[in-house]
Amino acid sequence: MRSLSHTGYRKGCYYAFVYGALICLLVIFLLPLLWVLGLSLKTREQIFTTPPLFLWWPTMENYFAVLSEGNFLVSFWNSFLVTTSTVLVSLFAGIPAAYTIARFRFPGRKLIFFSLLIMRMLPPIAALLPLYVMFSLVGLNSSRTGLILAYTTFSLPVIVWVTRDFFKSVPRDLEEAAYMDGASRTGAFLKIALPLAKPGITTAAILSLLLAWNDFIFAAILTNNATRTSPVLLSTYAGSETGTDWGAIAASGILVLLPVIVFSLIVQRHLVPGLSSGAINDARIP
Amino acid sequence: MRHHDRQHGSATTPSSQGVRPRNYLVQIAKLADFCFIPFTTLPTIVLSAAVFGVPLLLSLIMSFVAWSIDQPVSEAQFVGLRNYRDLFADRVFVASLWLTLGYTSATVSLEILIGLAIALLLNLDLPFIRIFRTALIVPMMVTPIVAALCWKLLLDPTYGLVDYLIGSPVIWLGDPTLALITVGGVNVWQNAPFVALLILAGLQSVPKEIMEAARIDGATKTALFRHITLPLLSPYLLVAMLLRIIFEFRAFDNVYVMTAGGPANATLVLSIYVYHTSFFSFDLTLASAASWIMLLIVLTVSLLLIAAIRQKEPD
Repeated sequence: MRSLSHTGYRKGCYYAFVYGALICLLVIFLLPLLWVLGLSLKTREQIFTTPPLFLWWPTMENYFAVLSEGNFLVSFWNSFLVTTSTVLVSLFAGIPAAYTIARFRFPGRKLIFFSLLIMRMLPPIAALLPLYVMFSLVGLNSSRTGLILAYTTFSLPVIVWVTRDFFKSVPRDLEEAAYMDGASRTGAFLKIALPLAKPGITTAAILSLLLAWNDFIFAAILTNNATRTSPVLLSTYAGSETGTDWGAIAASGILVLLPVIVFSLIVQRHLVPGLSSGAINDARIP
Repeated sequence: MRHHDRQHGSATTPSSQGVRPRNYLVQIAKLADFCFIPFTTLPTIVLSAAVFGVPLLLSLIMSFVAWSIDQPVSEAQFVGLRNYRDLFADRVFVASLWLTLGYTSATVSLEILIGLAIALLLNLDLPFIRIFRTALIVPMMVTPIVAALCWKLLLDPTYGLVDYLIGSPVIWLGDPTLALITVGGVNVWQNAPFVALLILAGLQSVPKEIMEAARIDGATKTALFRHITLPLLSPYLLVAMLLRIIFEFRAFDNVYVMTAGGPANATLVLSIYVYHTSFFSFDLTLASAASWIMLLIVLTVSLLLIAAIRQKEPD
């Protein structure tokens, strides 16, 4: 009996320790964001009190202020437009290539794949400077089209890697059966492989969507006041010395995060395998 | 080529023996199939050449010429390695290079260590553990600019939460030594969860039977970890390291928002250096040389790590 209660006691200690550590984790990783959410729901006086207020009646005035001022909505619309177009363009260009790379051996196959790998590895600032010069020459600077093109430097490799992985995992038999029935390659690709690779295409689309939405460096250089995305608008708050309107900063930050977080939580099972699959695959390039 | 020959043979033979018009269709299909590989890969090739190949070539050329932005392109003159020599004679660049290497190795090692610790904790089979795993996704997906802004508010010496909690007004971002640590710390905060979730995926791929068998043979917990878990985990650790090195080496967003490279160049990482040189001093040739140095470093380190990962996973 004694030994039993002893192990029970030890088990209790163990649970207390483990859950204590887990709760510490939650506090460290979520409290900062929750605190800023709190700031966004405070009035100006409530934000600048010492000691800080921990209980208050939330106000939406910061959100009304941010949304009634044109700048934020324009940047949000730009972000939305650029992000979705980037994903569509990269899906359209990348999926057929991914399929061909997964299914056929042809000269230049390794070269394409290796270039995409390097595209993903290289620091964006290195491509940005020449892109800026080129876009100035052809008049694409400060345009959303230019930004969408620039975003394909990271979204195209992600799309090709992730979908290629899925095409490889789809058994070849079905396509071969279709060839037996006289189907062309195009037919086999569109009618058989594409529907089967849907989960992979979803993962790829989600990843490039998040990457494009979160990007700052490309947009900071390639846009102007009319075409800037939300992260660029937000960064202007950080620099200005008049940027003491914490309520507005917090509220617009939360508004930018909200879609990302809700979306990430919905699609969470795609995220980690997707983000790492690229790298694990590269290591396996023949 | 072998595969598609086989597929082709099986596709044509049965139908070419059939009715005549069908044979005609097969010819069209054959033509489409002949063009299939170029057609499907062309958009990707054109797009990546336009947004990546040509720009890189342009910056390579720019790094070997003397040219300023107000001159016509025709006046650019080949000067060999002079830009690179100027670069390494620039004390700010050399300091920035060392700073970036130090920053990258420190943040990546911390992310891996903390990530591993969190992953081991999250791997325990406990009630409600899923809630904790899900919660970690949030900081990982937060827009880096927003994360940096949030921390700027939290670390404010007068009204910030952090200084209130520790009870003394620390100037996190204004002090040269502390600023780099703070900026790196925010990055670790944001990215350790990703490393943790990646390692967690690795931990869950360790077969339970092996662990059970070793435990029955009397292996201690540390022995289990050292001789079974760690070797099986090493490809995941290397992948995490590869990805994090690539992304920490290009650090820009949070530095830009939190310190903009200051105070006194204390957080001037290479990306910020190139950014300043190109878009404030407009010294495009020097900036191109600097970005090629960055490219070569990332490429070397990544290829070495990829070779190491490939060795671990003989396929």
